[in-house]
Amino acid sequence: MDQADAPAGTPRPFAHLQQPGAPLYRAIMGTFVQAKRRFIVHLRPEDIRAMLPEHARTSHDGPSLDGALASLEHWGNLRSDPDTGRVTSVEEFRRARYLYQMTDHGQAAEDALQTYEEALGRRGSLQSVALDDIAGRLRELHALASADSPAPGATHLALRTLVDRFEDLAANAQAFMSALARTIDVRDAEADAFVAYKERLIEYLERFIKDLVGTGAEIARLVEQIEELGVDRLLRMAAERDTRDTAPGPADSRDATDAALARSLDLWRDRWQGFRAWFIGSAHHPSQAMVLRGQARSAIPRLLQVVSTLHDRRSGRSDRAADFRALAQWFAEAPDEPAMHTLWRSAFGLQPSRHLGVDAETLEARSHSPVSPTTPWAEAPPLLISPRLRRTGSYERRGRPAQVLDRSLARRHLSERAAQEVREVARARARLATGGPVRLSDVGTLEPAEFRLFLGLLGDALAAKPLGARTVEVSTGDGAMSIRLSEIDGNGHAEPGAAGGPVAEIRTPDGLLRGPDHIVEIRDLSAPPVRGA
Amino acid sequence: MTGSLTDALQQSRADERRRAARAILHRPLLAADGPDAESFALVQRHSAYLRGWFHTHAGWSLLVTPELARLTKTVDEDGPGAHTHPAVTARPRQPFTRRRYVLACLLLAALSRADAQITLGGLADDVLLAAADPGLAATGLEFTLDSRAQRGDLAAAVRLLIGYGVLSRVAGDEDHFVEDTGDVLYDVHRRALAGMLASARGPSTIAAASADPASLFAERLAQLTFPPPDGSEQLREERIRRRVTRRLLDEPVLYYDDLPTPAREHLERRSVSIVGAVAELTGLVPEIRAEGIAMVDPLGTLTDVRMPEGGTDGHAALLLATHLASASGPVPVSVLEDLIRSRAHGFAAQGYWRRSATDPGADRVIVRTALDRLEALGLVRREQAADGAVAVVPRPAIARYAVTEPAVDRALEPPGTGQPEYPRPDPQRPEEHATTKTEEHAR
Repeated sequence: MDQADAPAGTPRPFAHLQQPGAPLYRAIMGTFVQAKRRFIVHLRPEDIRAMLPEHARTSHDGPSLDGALASLEHWGNLRSDPDTGRVTSVEEFRRARYLYQMTDHGQAAEDALQTYEEALGRRGSLQSVALDDIAGRLRELHALASADSPAPGATHLALRTLVDRFEDLAANAQAFMSALARTIDVRDAEADAFVAYKERLIEYLERFIKDLVGTGAEIARLVEQIEELGVDRLLRMAAERDTRDTAPGPADSRDATDAALARSLDLWRDRWQGFRAWFIGSAHHPSQAMVLRGQARSAIPRLLQVVSTLHDRRSGRSDRAADFRALAQWFAEAPDEPAMHTLWRSAFGLQPSRHLGVDAETLEARSHSPVSPTTPWAEAPPLLISPRLRRTGSYERRGRPAQVLDRSLARRHLSERAAQEVREVARARARLATGGPVRLSDVGTLEPAEFRLFLGLLGDALAAKPLGARTVEVSTGDGAMSIRLSEIDGNGHAEPGAAGGPVAEIRTPDGLLRGPDHIVEIRDLSAPPVRGA
Repeated sequence: MTGSLTDALQQSRADERRRAARAILHRPLLAADGPDAESFALVQRHSAYLRGWFHTHAGWSLLVTPELARLTKTVDEDGPGAHTHPAVTARPRQPFTRRRYVLACLLLAALSRADAQITLGGLADDVLLAAADPGLAATGLEFTLDSRAQRGDLAAAVRLLIGYGVLSRVAGDEDHFVEDTGDVLYDVHRRALAGMLASARGPSTIAAASADPASLFAERLAQLTFPPPDGSEQLREERIRRRVTRRLLDEPVLYYDDLPTPAREHLERRSVSIVGAVAELTGLVPEIRAEGIAMVDPLGTLTDVRMPEGGTDGHAALLLATHLASASGPVPVSVLEDLIRSRAHGFAAQGYWRRSATDPGADRVIVRTALDRLEALGLVRREQAADGAVAVVPRPAIARYAVTEPAVDRALEPPGTGQPEYPRPDPQRPEEHATTKTEEHAR
């Protein structure tokens, strides 16, 4: 009603959309549209009131019906004429009475709004029927193309129908896919509707995919067959029929007709190419049908995903987010620490079971002497706990070897032993390397290490001694020492006939070595020749 | 031949069932992938049997989907040891603080509205927004992400959820978030999220009216765990049996004293079948005594708190248990602290205990940790006297940890004082008298 700034008389048929009472205005205009469908042109206010939907009639805010009608007239949507019909009551008669009808502006605005709403609210559909129709027309065309002289009228009609149905199919498919994308982006409020709708939707998609595969293949085959028979002939026929109907232009001449024919033919060729590309793809450009099939197919798992998300969201008895928020509040208000832990356990129940342990020994001891169930714990045998654990707090796990063995002790022991041996051998050498000939009987007492070395030398020498020889000289395998061994006779000289010769005795801590006396000369070859050889 | 083969198959099947039952009892929420995969497969294989068992005997529901297995361990009422089951941080194992509990709940609330993927930064924003809720702000808790400690709290709560499979890390590391040098991306697993709550009723449907905070909390808790009315006598019997079974499955010691009279009477009549069923399912061994029943575990794995255990805290707990096993009444905590203090130096010097055990005040921490453990295992109860001093009341089952024979008792001597093998009596040892009693008792 605040249209003072508008120049009087200028229709502004869309103004009511921006007004506070817009729903009422729309409802009123709706009644006129509805009336027009029934070929009613004039409406009385009481007719309008009766036709208004419930919510518009009972709404208390916004303008009254009469006010609204006046405003609509002011904006140019409606026109009023005085109502001269007879009335049945005094009040009615006294009131100014009008008949309302839509103006041209109002009508145009309503048409525009309807188109607008249709475009926005369009769900689109995947038309299996259209596919059938297309296949049918193509079969017809195929028959015409096969004929020697196809009937131009039938050809033209078939091509026209084909184009119409095809445009319908393509536009609808596009609308459907975008509507589907909107559906999948579902909001909580629409969840119920979606869940109810999804099964039918999926079924629909599946049927369409099936048809697209089946009929699409037939269409592609037919397209190729028609092209083989020569599609251009048919297209030209259609173009000719198109141009024949063209109204003669101002400069009617043959040239203009030719130009129109050429234009029309190009158009038909483009249409055919587009049609072809829709159903027959190349390696690089998949056909539109293929793309659509892919989209429809991928929509199914996405739909199922949405369904599962929705189910997840509602699987709790109460609103889960609210539950957790309530719990947060409870934790924040818990009186003390034990209370919080209790709440955690009661609400979530995620704690592991907890049990006391028992070891095999204790169990075995119990199986030998069972404890009566009436025994108090204090009188029952306690758990067998390794004294080591009690003493040190370190747990010996039975039956499991230590992960890493510490060998440093053993290594130290070995190296100590090696060093000891080296020392003993050195000492033995020093002791045995007499530097000159001595009698075995003079060697006297030997320590075990010395004796071992000595015995080794002696054994080498005796083994090397040729039969009958009286003297032998050998060196040890490592070349560190040499020994010279000579037999001696009873007189102490190195002579044969030692049978009854003197006996030498060598004492060791382990026992006594007794044998015929010899003269030995042991030299340490590794030592520097101090006393000469 | 065939018979023995069948027997062997049955045996191995029973073993597998037992392992499956133990796995789900140990981790009531198992994810199908990740570290739990093996346990999950076991549970899945025996899901029909386990579902039937848990429903019949314990009244617990077991849900097994391709993504997760969840045993809903409902609790009937505020049992005596309910507060000893806190949520814990992984390393080091510490009970959650109030702040972390609240954060965990707010995170879950934010996640239940979140998409399939989310960053820690995005979660933090949501949580801060939720924390600004007037009701929550009125409690005096403030949440910001200014300090390292605050971000650390958030990271701890997030890691808890990762532990339960609600979130899985795709990229990044919480440490970087704590240091304020990076963000973390997670996948959100809605099934696990849906399986987190185990209460019989949704907390948001509960309205408590008490004015005093303590009774308000008690009212809320009672409603949260409120069992539906019993109906018939038979149902009542069944409910009692299930309640007892739950305690046997989940708690270390079931003291008859803690049970209401009907339950105790029921248990007295039916203990053989109830205990037998639990033992068959889990492989636990009943230890039935005059005061109660403990289902003890020969494998030692079906627990979150071990006793005995090595290490400083485990050893301290064992020492205190040994001491308390011979005590006849409540023992003041200060006595236990003295005991630990007198030993700490020797043990630390020997390298048995961690070095920090001798720090001033460490005795209190060690004693508290050890008592937490003993209380968690139903071996002691803490009582606050009128003057505020805390006393420790030994419970009957602690006698399991008494020393076996006098000869072993010298193990209690502080090592490092003279010859460890033949220690001299130490006049300063306050528990000398107690030790003598332990010996008598052990005989």
